[in-house]
Amino acid sequence: MSTNLGTIEIDPILVSVIGSRLNAISEEIGQTMLRTSRSPIFSEARDFVTGIFDHRLRLIAQTAYIPVLMGTLPSALRGIVDEFGDDIDEGDVFILNDPYRGNNHPPDITVAKPVFFDGEIRFWAVSKGHHADVGGGGVVGYNPTARSVWEECVRIPPAKLLIAGKRNRTLWDMILINVHMPWLVEADLECQIGACTVGERSLRALIGKYGMPVLDAVADRILDASDRQMRAVLREIPNGVYRAERYLDHDGIDKTRMIGLRLALTIADESVHFDWSESDPQAAGFVNSTLTNTISASFQALFMTVCSGVRYNEGALRALDVLAPAGTIVNAREPAPVTACTVVAAEAIVEAVWLALAQAVPERVYAGWGRWLAPASMGFNPTTQRPFGDIHFMAKSGGGAARGFDGWDHMGTVIAAGGLRAPDPELHELANPYRVLRYEFWSDSAGPGQWRGGMGTVYRWRVEADGIAAVNFGGGVNETTRPYGLLGGHPAPLSSVVVHRNGGEEAIDTETLFFLNRGDEVEIHEAGGGGYGDPRARDQARIAADVADGLVSAERARDIYGMVVPA
Amino acid sequence: MGIRVGVDVGGTFTDFLIKGGDGSARIYKTSTTPEDPTIGFFNGLGKAAAEAGQSLEEWLGQVETIVHGTTITTNAVLTGEGALTGFVTTSGFRDILNMRRGLKDRQFDMYAPPSPLVLRRNIAVVDERVTAQGEVATPLSEDDVRAAAALFRRQGVEAVAVSYLWSFRNDGHERRTKEILAEELPDVYVSVSTEILPQIRAYERHSTTALNSYVGPVLNRYLSRLQQRLAELGFGGTLLIMQSNGGVMSPEVARRFASNTLLSGPAGAPQAGLHYGAMHRFGNFITVDMGGTSFDVALVRNGVPSMTTEGSIGGHRVASPSLDIHTVGSGGGSIAWINAGGLLNVGPKSAGASPGPACYGRGGTLPTVTDANYVLGYLNFAGGELSLDGDAAWRAIDEHVAKPLGIEPIEAAYGIFQVVNADMAAAISVVSVQRGYDPREFVLVVAGGAGPLHAGAIARDLEIPLIQIPRESSVFCAAGMLISDLKHDYVHTYAREFGDVDLDAVTAIYRDIVDKAMQTLEAENVPPQQTVVEYSADLRYVGQFNEVEVPAFVAGEFTRGALDALAEEFHRRHDELYGYSTPAAPVEVINLRVSARGVTEKPFVESHPRHGPDPSGARTGYREIWIDGGYTNASVYDGLQLFNGNLVPGPAIVVQPTTTILVPSDFELTCDAGNNYLMYRKGAQVGDLLRLLGGEANQ
Repeated sequence: MSTNLGTIEIDPILVSVIGSRLNAISEEIGQTMLRTSRSPIFSEARDFVTGIFDHRLRLIAQTAYIPVLMGTLPSALRGIVDEFGDDIDEGDVFILNDPYRGNNHPPDITVAKPVFFDGEIRFWAVSKGHHADVGGGGVVGYNPTARSVWEECVRIPPAKLLIAGKRNRTLWDMILINVHMPWLVEADLECQIGACTVGERSLRALIGKYGMPVLDAVADRILDASDRQMRAVLREIPNGVYRAERYLDHDGIDKTRMIGLRLALTIADESVHFDWSESDPQAAGFVNSTLTNTISASFQALFMTVCSGVRYNEGALRALDVLAPAGTIVNAREPAPVTACTVVAAEAIVEAVWLALAQAVPERVYAGWGRWLAPASMGFNPTTQRPFGDIHFMAKSGGGAARGFDGWDHMGTVIAAGGLRAPDPELHELANPYRVLRYEFWSDSAGPGQWRGGMGTVYRWRVEADGIAAVNFGGGVNETTRPYGLLGGHPAPLSSVVVHRNGGEEAIDTETLFFLNRGDEVEIHEAGGGGYGDPRARDQARIAADVADGLVSAERARDIYGMVVPA
Repeated sequence: MGIRVGVDVGGTFTDFLIKGGDGSARIYKTSTTPEDPTIGFFNGLGKAAAEAGQSLEEWLGQVETIVHGTTITTNAVLTGEGALTGFVTTSGFRDILNMRRGLKDRQFDMYAPPSPLVLRRNIAVVDERVTAQGEVATPLSEDDVRAAAALFRRQGVEAVAVSYLWSFRNDGHERRTKEILAEELPDVYVSVSTEILPQIRAYERHSTTALNSYVGPVLNRYLSRLQQRLAELGFGGTLLIMQSNGGVMSPEVARRFASNTLLSGPAGAPQAGLHYGAMHRFGNFITVDMGGTSFDVALVRNGVPSMTTEGSIGGHRVASPSLDIHTVGSGGGSIAWINAGGLLNVGPKSAGASPGPACYGRGGTLPTVTDANYVLGYLNFAGGELSLDGDAAWRAIDEHVAKPLGIEPIEAAYGIFQVVNADMAAAISVVSVQRGYDPREFVLVVAGGAGPLHAGAIARDLEIPLIQIPRESSVFCAAGMLISDLKHDYVHTYAREFGDVDLDAVTAIYRDIVDKAMQTLEAENVPPQQTVVEYSADLRYVGQFNEVEVPAFVAGEFTRGALDALAEEFHRRHDELYGYSTPAAPVEVINLRVSARGVTEKPFVESHPRHGPDPSGARTGYREIWIDGGYTNASVYDGLQLFNGNLVPGPAIVVQPTTTILVPSDFELTCDAGNNYLMYRKGAQVGDLLRLLGGEANQ
């Protein structure tokens, strides 16, 4: 491939023009995913990411509704290319879900298509999304009893899904026979391939218009610009080593063992070093993080706060590096189970980064967002006469407060940063054998503060079929894991999942498999966000408004906020 | 035919297009008067009457129809000045409206959450529950409804919205609630979801219904004032109100369905495109409207504008059908800036009307697109009333763009021009390429004061072969309103898999909707022979969460054949939109839709005699402009002196009172028989293009 980069004169305007086009193409890929996918996890909750890489495997542009996926594409594509080397031909499409070959966790299947022009690979169009099922012993891909990755999924190493444009039938058959809902998985793989093809079409048109030498030179300029932008942002943060520690609720298997993640965050002029090496050894259960997930979550914490204006591409990441020793909770050794890492470990990682940053730039970070705590469930729906599987995304927690404003209500896990769309309760009832009984803000669920956390949710449903398997996963059920407050702000309460049946109540711990039958009622209390600043400094009018709106009780307003009641 | 008047109230200007019975057209612009938009409305009519040498009463006596586009409801939402609204919903589900599906638009930015449309203290829950099958699981607690009414009375609410879960399956509880509220709160404006949008998806239905109540009293007051004043002036013609769906409606219907005006601001554009393209029988075109702060794009295919049900305003969803108009923050006032990485960006921040572009000399110091156009020599006036401060434009561009990039100011100005063009081209891709359409098969119809300067570059980028610039381009939407039909859209959620579709039930639902539509059109004095009813259905593959709307063929009843045709068309359309279809996979019908139109009489289109190609009679001089990397001497023409058949080769500038056209060096411009401009690449034959893009090609 001849791209004599040194000799090409590119005017700065062309860089802006082509940069805007590349972002538009990445969005095109995303739109196709959004509109045609079958699994509600893709299409309603928007749990996917799409990206464009150049032939040097540099991330050029991406569209992510769920930010924790942002940093996961480079290593997945690297895993594919390392495996196949020269054995990549026009019309091939690749697949990968194995967390030990560059993927983040098994349910997020990566599909990548090389974009050829004049017989050579020029770009890659990549999509990755959370499938409704990847087999294994779990529920919708979640198996809290797994002690190895084999019990979590059908492992798909880097492989050709299409060979020269034709289905690699043996592989498809192999995958589809190993999943509970093959029609959903098949359609969503088609949707991912279709999305990459849409990207390919537009990328080829772009090459036809400008030629590769120009596009290569433009890519350099775009990436260098993001690098400079990132370094400019980092210069504003005081140098230092900032330490923080956050916990997972437990090991997943040994429910008495809490697991600590410890960060030493070094800001040195224009670079950031995330050192996680003091973290606890890996867990027995599926709360372990993969290296890919740890890197992605670490970076996300920056992009949601101090670097929010910087485009997330290869250039922007040059100033960042992560140390996560193998065998620890942040980089488990094969074959440890890892499926829950994208919420459980990732949330703790984001929180630790923010607590470290809070020592340097407290005005630029959030108080804790409520952690994810909700089940996935799977079974047979007698009304539709079909198996079903879903994740209960309506149980959304509140966002953390920040200096100057209250947290956002009903956001859900921080790893989605407000991009996770709550399912519609009516469509949900149509697809699943459930009747939703209650779905509203949970009063007093927000951590008090001068700026309070966003509201959490109470969500209750009745089961209308027998023999449903469910897995509760997530965190925030312990004092040490609930959403933290900042600068005098208070933490939010604990979250809980309870099953009402046979006249009693059964509390369901996190990372737990349980079963549901007709008439059972499941009730989730999902925490709000942590507060920021002393609640007694809160504006009296806001306190009164929260009481009038029933979001804060009169007792709390009096006891914690010091509300002045007019005589 | 008497005089027809289109009045489009925009943010800055109120536009008037006045069509005489002979096909003649006159344009007026007055300043919008936000405190009471009827003032600007009557100022403009006064101007028209004065110019005709008549009193306003005399002149209005000859006016047959006034079509009015208003942004009064839009502004009420954007400024938070709608009615104090109460909301009634199913107990256990108090916050679906305010949860907004738990989305934060700009995920990475830290900013305060938006204010709710309805304060939680004014959201009342009522014991009641209808199941997914439409059975009553919990009967309506009338006591709860009366308690809600008492709460609203205490709170002094002006409007109430009612939306229960699954109400579209069984509207009994909403009907009863409405009766009770009418007894308890006779003076309060009430909307119920089964009348506004009987459709699955609770948040979208709640939000649309709540918005209807939020803006209902505002629109009601405004229309009363307007109609009273018109009556005082002896106006005896018909007043029609523009809707978001590209149709018009009577003020009486508008009062009940106020939310149908929320996205009506740019809704005249596709209709206007149809009007101007009619003489060439253009069926496929893309309308673009570039104003001061935004750029609106709409696509029309086979004469039918693209529609969407995914509209939103101020962060609140409006799920009733509206024209699919894509808006980006690229306008004449968009500010150019260099980011920390050293790359040039244009917008979305705008200098707005105040301080405005630097060259307006009102204290603006930041470089805008208008400043770049001025520095490049494309523009030397703005709207006629301003004298431009050229030095300020050069200074702004030099300081904020040229110096940081290390280039000459003129190059920087051209850079701004190119970047904003690329952004606008990308916006056109969203409604074309992203929806599966190839822009090379479309005519670009250009509106707005600033649009015609950029059209050539945009068309070149997207390889759009032909550009049409209506002479009335600066009052484009007003023109579209004048020719819009009365149009009412109805939806009813059915939600059944194909195998379970009950043909008789579907027939009954369609019949019920059509009856409703006909009653409405009848009340609007549409004779039955002028009604057109179109049926469609929203389909999806089982498991998908987005539907595709496909036309249904219903002749009295919905037959097995119609159902099969529906599926076939769905697979085809899915393939067209998304690059694949899976005909073996199960399909489900989600919504049944009816669109009913009362066809209005269209104004006569004047046809002008043909002249020779020589445009020199219109030439007013020459101007140095910077284009394609260097200065060049461009001819300047007075647009009003260009006639049918005149040919203007680029580089040239065509100046009109409210807009300026740039003919790039590789383009040529001509006038058609309607005295509208056509622009295309040199070397192309306009006759060939017209044959290719109009007439037979679309049959």
